[in-house]
Amino acid sequence: MQGEPTTDASGSPAASHVRSVQRRRVGAPVAFYGATAFLVVSIVFLLPRAMPGDPLLARVDSSDTLFVIDDEGRDRFRAYYGLDEPLLAQYRNYLGSIARGDLGWSIGRSAPVRELIAAHLPWTLLLVGTALALSALIGFFAGIAAAWRRGRAGDRLLLVTLTGTRAMPEYVLGTLLLILLAVVVPAFPLAGARTPFAVHESAVAAVIDVAYHLVLPATALTLGLLGGKFLLVRNTAISALGQDYMELARAKGLPERLLKYRHAGRNALLPFLTVLGIQTGFAVGGAVFVETIFGYPGMGTLILRALDERDYPVLEGSFLVLAGCVLLVNLAVDLTYGRLDPRARAS
Amino acid sequence: MNVALQVRDLRVTYPGPPSVRALDGVDLNVVRGECLGLLGESGSGKSTLARVVLGLATGARVEGALQLGDQELGTLDEAGWRRIRWTRLALAMQSTAALNPVLRIVDQVAEPLRVHLGHSRGEARERALATLASLGLGRAEAERFPLELSGGQQRLAVLAVAVVCEPEILLLDEPTAGLDAVTRDQVVAFLRSLRERRGTTIVVLGHDVEALHALADRVGVLYRGWLAEIGPAARVLGDPRHPYSRGLLDARPTLATIKELRGIRGRRPDPALVSPGCPFYGRCTQSVSECMEIRPALEPPAGERDSRLISCIRGGVLLLLEARGLRKSYGGVHALDDVGVEVRHGEVLGVVGPTGAGKSTLALLLANLLVQDAGTVTFDGHRLNGKPSQDLRRRLQLVFQNPFEALSPRLTVLAAVREPLEVQRAASRDEATKLVRRALDSCRLPSDDAFLGRHTHELSGGELQRVALARALVLEPQLVVLDEPVAMLDPSEQAELLQLLKAIQVERGMAMVLVSHDLATVLRVADSVVVLAAGRVVERGSGTQILTAPRHAVTRALLAASGAGALFHQQAHSNDQEAQS
Amino acid sequence: MSAVAARLRGRERRAGAFRGGPALWLGAGVIAAFALVALAAPALRPYGVHAIAGDQLSAPSRAHLLGTNAVGQDLLSQMLSGTRSSLLVALLAGGGTLLVGTLVGAVAGWLGGLTDALLMRVVDVFLVVPRIPLVIVIAAYAGSSLATVSAIIALTSWPAGARVVRSQVLSLRGRAHLRAAVGFGARTLYVLRRHIVPELGLILAAGFVAAAERAIVLEAGLAFLGLGDPTRKSWGSIMRDALDFEFLFFTDAWAWWLLSPVAALAALLLGLAFVGVGLERHISPRVARHAGGAA
Repeated sequence: MQGEPTTDASGSPAASHVRSVQRRRVGAPVAFYGATAFLVVSIVFLLPRAMPGDPLLARVDSSDTLFVIDDEGRDRFRAYYGLDEPLLAQYRNYLGSIARGDLGWSIGRSAPVRELIAAHLPWTLLLVGTALALSALIGFFAGIAAAWRRGRAGDRLLLVTLTGTRAMPEYVLGTLLLILLAVVVPAFPLAGARTPFAVHESAVAAVIDVAYHLVLPATALTLGLLGGKFLLVRNTAISALGQDYMELARAKGLPERLLKYRHAGRNALLPFLTVLGIQTGFAVGGAVFVETIFGYPGMGTLILRALDERDYPVLEGSFLVLAGCVLLVNLAVDLTYGRLDPRARAS
Repeated sequence: MNVALQVRDLRVTYPGPPSVRALDGVDLNVVRGECLGLLGESGSGKSTLARVVLGLATGARVEGALQLGDQELGTLDEAGWRRIRWTRLALAMQSTAALNPVLRIVDQVAEPLRVHLGHSRGEARERALATLASLGLGRAEAERFPLELSGGQQRLAVLAVAVVCEPEILLLDEPTAGLDAVTRDQVVAFLRSLRERRGTTIVVLGHDVEALHALADRVGVLYRGWLAEIGPAARVLGDPRHPYSRGLLDARPTLATIKELRGIRGRRPDPALVSPGCPFYGRCTQSVSECMEIRPALEPPAGERDSRLISCIRGGVLLLLEARGLRKSYGGVHALDDVGVEVRHGEVLGVVGPTGAGKSTLALLLANLLVQDAGTVTFDGHRLNGKPSQDLRRRLQLVFQNPFEALSPRLTVLAAVREPLEVQRAASRDEATKLVRRALDSCRLPSDDAFLGRHTHELSGGELQRVALARALVLEPQLVVLDEPVAMLDPSEQAELLQLLKAIQVERGMAMVLVSHDLATVLRVADSVVVLAAGRVVERGSGTQILTAPRHAVTRALLAASGAGALFHQQAHSNDQEAQS
Repeated sequence: MSAVAARLRGRERRAGAFRGGPALWLGAGVIAAFALVALAAPALRPYGVHAIAGDQLSAPSRAHLLGTNAVGQDLLSQMLSGTRSSLLVALLAGGGTLLVGTLVGAVAGWLGGLTDALLMRVVDVFLVVPRIPLVIVIAAYAGSSLATVSAIIALTSWPAGARVVRSQVLSLRGRAHLRAAVGFGARTLYVLRRHIVPELGLILAAGFVAAAERAIVLEAGLAFLGLGDPTRKSWGSIMRDALDFEFLFFTDAWAWWLLSPVAALAALLLGLAFVGVGLERHISPRVARHAGGAA
């Protein structure tokens, strides 16, 4: 993932995130994420209303180019945003709607935003989940292997390659993969999550079809997420190797396997976990791009179309749902971390 | 004799740059069931030794032979090492970072049991808990993570990890360093019981002499990767014979020493340099030119037949000055009757006694300015007979009691201090002036022309005495006898001079005989003390012994006179009070 | 623009002074090349950016070195214009990120206490919220001119840099010469300006590289999604145009239309990455890469 934090355990954002996680221990993670969620909702509320040339009003202004022609749509728009009411009332209504799960009405698609998101979100979750899992596994084992072979050819190669992929944004990686493996060598489908109009004999066949369509987008996203994890694990493991306890573990005559995973790996696990949390945000962002390239019917596609039409309710709703998912994942990571970190327990 | 571990001519070099020779030809036999202590400061190579024996010195070039029982250790590959590690040889490391912070204590202790002895999870756990308990760490502590324990507890845990597989040989790197007294005793007791119950062979590396006293059968002294001395613990620790061992054991601060600490002169050597001769050459006070060229082998020292071995070309710490059966009378009065003293290289001997005890006579006899009626004085192996050679004269000097008389009033400072050089024809005029300046510097006197031109009658008592000292030092003697050097000085000047004497003595590694009636003065400076009364030696011993356990009445009187009574008065007083109530 | 060139060349000089190895020089060279192209773009451009200059979808030829798109616009001209946009954003947004981040971090580190706690909470919030979706929403509302996009990027990327600067300031705070300055009666801003920021020099340099990288990626990404400046053609919007063309993969046009911007982005980003890594080798590796909004 281009530009996202990595390096060793004591390295900046990962380590300071760890430290902030530990700080939060005192304030309780739930409170923090709850407050953040509230803040996010409020910002989304304020944003359009703070813009010069109020974009919301523009849509109901018949003289503006963005005017919504469809009457029903325009009324729903007006009602959802409470455009006739004073600010505070608007805010209250807005919060109320969000709490009920009412995310408004899509102008462009003439459907409740909630339904649209419900149809698109699962695909994004599939993509992001797969990519996170794969990048975690590969990143962890590759990181440890590289640390063990530190300085030698294998390590150097991995280091250079993954530094390179880390620098690349997902849309570049995705496009290259698309060209290479779907156009030049037509091994994978160009677009979609399933073969259109296909009828499958069994559930297994359907799953395979989905998996087949998932390969390229998931690979693109995985490659983007891989670099950061790899570097973190590698650097943590290397610094562990320099510690006295590794020498003692070796002195104990333990087999290499135990040294790698139980002693070094276990030390890398905690920072690794926090990086997982941080990366969820990036994964979601990256997924938006990957989906637009591969025509994958997830949130990215939804957002792209909504952008075209300036479909504000869809855009806001998508953001809120995605942000909510990311916050939940981070909360889970924080809570798990608290259970696992002996240092946090010691204090 | 059953040898558990054999080390032959072990040389370990860490490639640089700069390359460091960590072990420089070590020969060692560790007997099965014994406890061997290896005394060494940092840089002595003891940590390297511990690692090499376990095959952990990665990146180092190891030469020489290592044998564990029948097994040659030099040819082992990593798999071979794994089979040996922990079950036959285990190491308790010095640092507390030896425990993995993210694993529980009990898991770390149980781990080798599962790997090496094939215990099941439950069995290993039980065994681990038992081992920890025997070291005083209960179940609660065992379940914790290392950072949740105190430093002392962590050390105990590291020890538990080491002993859990019941190895044949247990290596301990500084097992008691930094521990409080209670925990230290715990560790010592535990190790003792380990030896008794299982006959484990133990090797303790470190510099805690108390622990070695309590534990070790034999003690070896390591210096710069080389064994200086090795022998029965009581002997080596109580009466070290190698110049380095002596210096090392003298240097440690304990309550027992009231004299100021005497460090070992010189600087610690650069580990990158490997000398062909004795590694201690540069700092040894009794070295000769052969010491630089020939590496001494481990041999029994002169005069001893038992199992102590030392590496010294000269056979260990030598007596520089030895007097036996001295007798001198003036007219019919016996000034001295059957007096004997010993002064070793680099040591300070204090001679105390009331007025008229014969101290000055002794001083003159020792400095060979008087001939004895009977008895011998030997200096560096040469009998002194009143007509010593120039060379001997140079090496043995005397500082008199009365500086006003000792220096000619007609001479300037320069002339006075230069006199010995002229007599010995040791240097040209210019060189001589330079040497004079240097001598004055080391006595903390000004060395500018103005001072050099002053006459002795213009100086104070303290300054004069220092000029006299400079005069004695300008020939760079090996031993200086000082007869009541501070008696005629003001108290502030006394303090200054004593400090100076101490500093010079350490700097130059010079031996001294300090004669005084004041025990306090002598105790500040002397390594050993001889008490004279009416021409006889009535008591001798180390400064500590004299202070805390005086036997003779004269000694006690001297102590009282110097104010030691005040120290003990409180004690006696409260004892009396307790007795009364 | 000469100031830009000077700054970029200055950056190259700094990078070259270290023993970064061939990769560093290569990276610096690539960046310099792009910078020169950006500067010379108006002169080099054979056609107008939006002008219909030739046949549709024609392959690279003498007249059109990078071919034409589906409407017949010259791709070379568009790419040159895109170079300019990208580097401009890199400077503006990257610089802005660094500025805000450094300021916040320095103030938080120096003042400590409640200010620090508050600011760090804000940073935490920013770091947790997913950035792309947020930026999309803001850009949808605020419009997507180059200036606006740069501002949005700077305002959402500063937190990570702030953290790094803060920790550096915290470690500097205890130093004697700073205490002395306070002892003379110096105020916060003076101390920051005179003592702290100069010490941060190298870290800020590395931070700028990282911030620039991030800015380029974000800008191209937004353009890719259709949120680019409509008056300019940036590399991202060229990609968008290409992918919007339904029959792109049924012709060979992807080879020049789609690959050109992708290759250019990849090259520039790799160049920045190498320079960044090279700088990293000279600073504490913990701190280097993240002083500029790399989160």
